Amino acid sequence: MSRCQQVARPIVRSLGQRCQPQPIAVRYFSSTTIRSDENTTVQQPGSEAGNPGLDATLLGQTSSTNDFEAFASQALSPSLGSRRRRAALATATQVPFEQMPYQCFQEARKILNQDREEKIAKIVAHTEKIKRIEATDPSTYRGGEGYKKKRIESLRQEIEELKILADINDPMVKRRFEDGVGDMNKPVYRYLANRKWRSMDYKIIVQRINQFHIIPDILPKFDPTMDVKMTFRGYKAAPGAILDSRLTETPPTLKMQVFDKGERLLTIVVMDADVPDVEKDAFSRRCHFMATNIPWGPTDSQLPLRFIGGGRTPGDLAVPWLPPHAHKGSPYHRLSVWIMEQKPGQKLDEAKLKELYGSDQGRMKFSIKGFRDKFGVTPVGFNLFRTVWDENTAGVMERNGIPGADIEFRPQRVQSLKPHRKARGWEAKRQKPKYKSLWKYTKRIKNF
Amino acid sequence: MASLSLNLRGLASRLIPSGPLLQPITSKCIAAFSTTPTHPAPVDPKAAAAKAKLKASKAAAKAKKSKRKGAEEKDPKIIQMMRHFAAHNPKNIPPPLRMARNRYLRHWTIHRGWLMFRRKQREERERTLMRQYQSMSTACEELRLTNGPGTRDTGYLYRVAMEKKGVYGHKGIPIEYARAQTDTPAKIAWNHEWKR
Repeated sequence: MSRCQQVARPIVRSLGQRCQPQPIAVRYFSSTTIRSDENTTVQQPGSEAGNPGLDATLLGQTSSTNDFEAFASQALSPSLGSRRRRAALATATQVPFEQMPYQCFQEARKILNQDREEKIAKIVAHTEKIKRIEATDPSTYRGGEGYKKKRIESLRQEIEELKILADINDPMVKRRFEDGVGDMNKPVYRYLANRKWRSMDYKIIVQRINQFHIIPDILPKFDPTMDVKMTFRGYKAAPGAILDSRLTETPPTLKMQVFDKGERLLTIVVMDADVPDVEKDAFSRRCHFMATNIPWGPTDSQLPLRFIGGGRTPGDLAVPWLPPHAHKGSPYHRLSVWIMEQKPGQKLDEAKLKELYGSDQGRMKFSIKGFRDKFGVTPVGFNLFRTVWDENTAGVMERNGIPGADIEFRPQRVQSLKPHRKARGWEAKRQKPKYKSLWKYTKRIKNF
Repeated sequence: MASLSLNLRGLASRLIPSGPLLQPITSKCIAAFSTTPTHPAPVDPKAAAAKAKLKASKAAAKAKKSKRKGAEEKDPKIIQMMRHFAAHNPKNIPPPLRMARNRYLRHWTIHRGWLMFRRKQREERERTLMRQYQSMSTACEELRLTNGPGTRDTGYLYRVAMEKKGVYGHKGIPIEYARAQTDTPAKIAWNHEWKR
């Protein structure tokens, strides 16, 4: 679904409820004129999200979207609006953005296009070079096979960089990226998305990792390379937020974005790092969720964890969702979401994972470090939320059959080893009824 | 007097009588772009006298100003610092550009194009300089390996070419060698008036 339709959805809904569309004020979220000629790089799959009107006609429904379209086209028709607006619409919609007759703009585009041509020529030259090197016998090089591999690898890297550099100066690329319709299969959009993520979201995640001591409590070393965001029942959860336990009763939907090309398999783990262990007088860990073999590429965006294992989304559910809960009086629990990348082509055995971590004891035995070492996965993405005892926790625990809702942790009172000492001083001397006349001047000492 | 000298800008248009030849627009143009009227307009003696008087007063004001400046002459370092602070004063920072989307995209394109153009120019210049430098160094190498004219030994021409006679003036040496190099050099590099 395109951005504009997303924005207009509530309006469409409200229109659908009425018998006749009333002329309500339609506001578009951009002050510029609507452009009809904007074509995206990707051909949208027309049957699905791309064309809701077509779906409706196929199903034999008179869609309210069509009404809206008609209404919107009327509202935005060039016959309405001020003279200035009409003039702008009459001219601006006809001329494509690239051909707008601004001299300086056109000169700049000429320079940029020339540069683009140069970059493309370089890419072609590099590709040919790679072919040539691949064809030559490695014994002709002094470095041998290693040198040849290194050479090819570095040339490929340079081609990737050139692909980004060729498109980075295109205003249409910038526009499409800002609209969120960029094709993530193309390196330039991935580069831009990565840069945007690194500018703030990455920094926040790294800060959470440090301030909540994820390093070194859970892993000795970790640097996230992919974007992970969570929503619980449609509510965005900021990294590290303390969430209501009713909200976290159902598993979150993850919005994940990888910035390198290709499909890979992911394993997703949610774990609690602060389970109080009374016998040892310490804290232990617990696995709350584990799903494995989830195929993921740069074009994928959303993954509702509750659908995994039901056949609706690919991937295997190893450990089902255990709602996060904290006992009364215990400090906050850090629930961390880990996205781990499997080795290329490697599929984890779901049955084995179930056997290892599926039972209650197995959940308690889970450790990210051990899991990583045992199965050869690499942690790439991270997010965090916290949970504390709140008014809904008891209900959540009862509904999910978790014992221990009646347990309350109390801080142990540590008695002073020093003997009791009488209160001293001018005020302490004048607490007795003998000095009743002075009580308005003295501070009353407690328990005297 | 001061107010008169301040309002010099519209003077030409006010003093020159707008005859049939001079349209009001033309006179405005004169006022905006040049202080002296280029057109030989008919000037009445009264206006000319007033102008002369004004000129004299202006010159006097200038002299006064320079005298006042001479009294409190500032260190150039202080002036430089004040300029620096003035440039970074939030009052003097221009507001951010506010543009609609298409216009911003055009602006961005032009900016990127300008950066690209400058980079191209810079790289071209650097390439030329590098080429020139390398060709000079190969020429010197060639000189170093050639036998000199006549009975001169190998490399004579090179040694001669490396001499810097006359580069720093007749029988001169670089002024840098005349004193010890310091981090905080003196304000006056050489006291030429000094006598034993």
